Amino acid sequence: MNGPPGQTGHADNDEGMDSGALALLKLGIDFHAMAAITSSEGRFTYVNDKFCAVTQYSRSELLGQDFRILNSGYHPKAMMKELWQTILGGQVWHGELRNRAKDGSFYWVSASIVPRVDPAGRPVEFITIRTEITKRKVAEETVAQLNADLQRRAAQLESANAEMESFAYSVSHDLRAPLRSMDGFSQALLEDYGDRLDATGQDYLRRVRAGAQQMGRLIDDILGLSMVTRQEMTHDRVDLTALAQLAIAELRQQQGERLVHWRIGEGLAASGDPQLLRVMLDNLLGNAFKFTGRREQAHIEMGRLGRVSDGVFFVRDNGAGFDMTYAGRLFGAFQRMHTTAEFPGTGIGLATVQRVILRHGGRVWAEAQPDKGATFYFTLPVVEDPS
Amino acid sequence: MTATGKAILLVEDNPDDELLTIRALKRNHILNEVIVARDGAEALDYLFGTGAYAGRDVSVSPQLVLLDLKLPKVSGLEVLQRLREDPRTRMQPVVVLTSSNQEQDLVNSYGLGANSYIRKPVDFEQFSEAVRHIGLYWLVLNEAPPVRRG
Ligand SMILES: Nc1ncnc2c1ncn2[C@@H]1O[C@H](COP(=O)(O)OP(=O)(O)OP(=O)(O)O)[C@@H](O)[C@H]1O
Ligand SMILES: [Mg+2]
Repeated sequence: MNGPPGQTGHADNDEGMDSGALALLKLGIDFHAMAAITSSEGRFTYVNDKFCAVTQYSRSELLGQDFRILNSGYHPKAMMKELWQTILGGQVWHGELRNRAKDGSFYWVSASIVPRVDPAGRPVEFITIRTEITKRKVAEETVAQLNADLQRRAAQLESANAEMESFAYSVSHDLRAPLRSMDGFSQALLEDYGDRLDATGQDYLRRVRAGAQQMGRLIDDILGLSMVTRQEMTHDRVDLTALAQLAIAELRQQQGERLVHWRIGEGLAASGDPQLLRVMLDNLLGNAFKFTGRREQAHIEMGRLGRVSDGVFFVRDNGAGFDMTYAGRLFGAFQRMHTTAEFPGTGIGLATVQRVILRHGGRVWAEAQPDKGATFYFTLPVVEDPS
Repeated sequence: MTATGKAILLVEDNPDDELLTIRALKRNHILNEVIVARDGAEALDYLFGTGAYAGRDVSVSPQLVLLDLKLPKVSGLEVLQRLREDPRTRMQPVVVLTSSNQEQDLVNSYGLGANSYIRKPVDFEQFSEAVRHIGLYWLVLNEAPPVRRG
């Protein structure tokens, strides 16, 4: 922090500056900065108006007073030692200091301390110029504080994620093992001792197996849902029309004798993660396919609503629909509007859809009427025009 | 299909899964002797003739190792890594058999040189079917690697 050597020997002020310019220089300094002179023992012998204003002391209070009344006790000893070594050695010290005003409040200054030394090199007085930088320091402290907060939160989030990860891992390992035992030994009973059980006994065992298998599917579904939230996502240009065609190709294999009219709009595109959006479309189109299962002629349509720049899409069907009274629950995990006897399922599909859309910063909502079909709307970020 | 020959080393800590795996093998007429190691350390002892298996002739290697991943003491992945590092066991056929459907397990298993990866399904019929495929491929069709003496 120390600058070039301070004045050695007598002041020699006529470096191309006449006394008029020198007077103006002093005026400029008084206007701009706090200036003070202290004796070699550290007592004020001169202070300008700005110095008084910032320290809140009057001139008469300051003159003759030890400069240490301004100390805030904030700076480490090592730094103060370095300051003193510099100026006692005849060098200029420059740095930032926190001082205390008369009312006890603190202020920050950027200070330069210039020692004036006698021919033997001993300091006779110290000239200091300070500019107040309290606002900047407070802002810096705030930024540092916010950064520290942010880092702490990032660390917390990271550890929560890691915990979630290991939770999912142990769920997928440990929760499934007892289910294998239930299913496996029920099966062993049926196979090895089936002849000693009547039809009701065998039916009970089959129910145990069905229960275990159902729970296995639930565990897989929950894990799948948590994957959708945890997985890192990309922001690519995604061809929704093509993704929908892929989904439909798979659904067609289950179509059998059913008559399903598919209509997918051309050139539907959005910005997002292709894998997540595929999962989303699989669920919406899969639902439309499933809930039109009782229609002689199913009509399933996917398209865009309004302008391209709105990024609003829809999937519409003429299936079983549902009562909008309960639509509030639609996107919660394991929430269903139909019984498994009517339509099979666990109720995880729309929860997954919602998570995918929310991760893309979009919205999803539905309109339906019992027996008149359902329409699901969703918004996605539109693709930026490359031109 | 009937397969006999060298032993199968089943590395499995869960006694229920042990029983069910043996049942699935029998059901598919896989009659090889089954040696069970109940943690990773025991499996390594068997394969390298150390500890409780000190003195075992390690040139007689199992025809197949069925390896669970989540094991006490030494994990399945670690066992796999040790097997692949040692010239005596580098060619040992290993099928990873686990509950997990976590992608990281699959990637790690293949990365460490597993020959195959089977997720134990809850449905025993499916499990039995998977075991049938393993048996067909690794015990009947696949030629055992030549014995290597290190
Ligand atoms: N296209 C639709 N037509 C009528 N009802 C629907 C439609 N889509 C969803 N629903 C209703 O919303 C419920 C929740 O849908 P969701 O996709 O979450 O579950 P699911 O399809 O029953 O099971 P899963 O998707 O987990 O296999 C459904 O059970 C159904 O009652
Ligand atoms: Mg669904």
